[in-house]
Amino acid sequence: MSSHRGDVPERVSEHRRIAVLGGVYSNAEALAAVLADTRRRDAEAVFCLGDLGGFGAHPDRVFPLLREHDVRVVRGNYDEAVAAGAADCNCGYTDPRDNHYARLSYAYTVAHTSATNRAWLATLPGHRRARLGPHRVFMCHGSPRRINEFLWESTTPDGLLRRLLADHAADVLLCTHTGLKWRRALDGGAAHAVNVGAVGRPENDGTPDVWYALLTGGPELEVEFVSVAYDHEAAARALEAEGLPREFAETLRTGWWTTCLENLPARERARGRF
Amino acid sequence: MPAIPPGVADAPRAPFVTLSALWLVLTGTLCNLRCTHCLNASGPDEPWLAPLDGAVARRALTEAEALGVREVYFTGGEPFLHREILPLLETSLAMAATTVLTNGTVMTDALAGALAALAGASRYSLEIRVSLDAAEAEANDRVRGRGTWERALRTLRTLDARGLLPIVTATEIADGAGAYDRFRALLRGLGIAKPRVKILPVFPVGRAAGAPGVRLTDADLEGFDRTTLQCAETRVVAADGVYACPILAGLPGARLSDGALAAALGPAALYHEACATCHRTGATCRNA
Repeated sequence: MSSHRGDVPERVSEHRRIAVLGGVYSNAEALAAVLADTRRRDAEAVFCLGDLGGFGAHPDRVFPLLREHDVRVVRGNYDEAVAAGAADCNCGYTDPRDNHYARLSYAYTVAHTSATNRAWLATLPGHRRARLGPHRVFMCHGSPRRINEFLWESTTPDGLLRRLLADHAADVLLCTHTGLKWRRALDGGAAHAVNVGAVGRPENDGTPDVWYALLTGGPELEVEFVSVAYDHEAAARALEAEGLPREFAETLRTGWWTTCLENLPARERARGRF
Repeated sequence: MPAIPPGVADAPRAPFVTLSALWLVLTGTLCNLRCTHCLNASGPDEPWLAPLDGAVARRALTEAEALGVREVYFTGGEPFLHREILPLLETSLAMAATTVLTNGTVMTDALAGALAALAGASRYSLEIRVSLDAAEAEANDRVRGRGTWERALRTLRTLDARGLLPIVTATEIADGAGAYDRFRALLRGLGIAKPRVKILPVFPVGRAAGAPGVRLTDADLEGFDRTTLQCAETRVVAADGVYACPILAGLPGARLSDGALAAALGPAALYHEACATCHRTGATCRNA
């Protein structure tokens, strides 16, 4: 047990290997494929860093999968908003085009998430801790200090990571929220930051596959990003059948982001098609 | 030091949460343009806020890195008029993502090439924000000066050709509703495949200051999370001290310390009319 920001002791689970995923975005087809993959790779526990809803066609189909696979979930900004019935997703967009699509997605997600599942979302913790061998792992959605802070690879300095890790008594920081995976070892491998990316939306790399992270403890922390192919055509057709924007289906089919682009820093934006 | 204006002592405060963004007012108010709405009344005359000494800027960067800063902004005036901008950018990009706010009228091919080289050598993003005020030349030039639209567009094309993906930063002063779509169309028309546009409100400060207007009170902020204000996570280093807000830099009521960042990490007074605009619009001076 350890404490975090206060005197309430929190549970720290101990593992040899964990699978960590983020950004499900109501993509039940992708989530099912990813969870099956984690089983094949001998992960002792599966963690999800939040944002279960948004974007995809079947919000309520995500929850049974998470329960069936005993996934330990951290609350994302989307989950927080859906649980509270907030006016918007608090995604942090400033751009009117991004906000247009975000509003459509959010309204659809709220309308298609049952009261039971919304109540469950309200119970999710804001962070989780684990131990992987000697490594103290801190898991959150955006950043340890703000649920909707974007930790992009090209805008997250080493100095900030060191400070966040020190402030939260951790050696390994795991996050999501951006939808793009990256990892960085600090101080000769004494500390690590890993953005696990998203399983609900492809990587903006021109392939429809999605990614999650596999972490194995030991004297050296092993981090492996795993790509998973899934029936993205079925997911895209489901979006179309629900009358959701065709740009969303296009993203699933092509692997290129068509929306939520304006928050991308120059480096990450340059890698995509749009 | 000029006297503290009335109302500062009694103004509501924004807490300091963390140093997320460091701004350097690199050229003070020295600028080659004299825009009608300029937030700090910059221009080509003797600047009322002096340019930042390179050594002071480097010291601020070092201090900010130790405080875990997330991103750095270079502003002015026109920051590309600072003789040390390239070495300072190199220093900044070695530690964090860095943005330069420019009027886009002093860019050359050689400078764009140097910027591209710096961006390519850094792990962190270099962002160039180019100011425009309308998607049409005439409306823009009424605000920013004759010929500025053409020159800024040339800069946008030059930067885009170098892969630097500039962000057009505009205010609502000339273009009003629908400005965002018009700017996107303008950029696409220039052949820019990844148009990036940021729209800001006009703040009642500098040349856009009018008659004394509404100021915030503690009652206005009841139930409002003050930690969401930009000034809760921002510090601004100018030649005469440290501030919490880039558009209030140089104003005596906004000064938090005379020099060191570490001495400026306390609450900030929300005393200015511009604070009410920021609160009302939820605007962010950061890129996103």
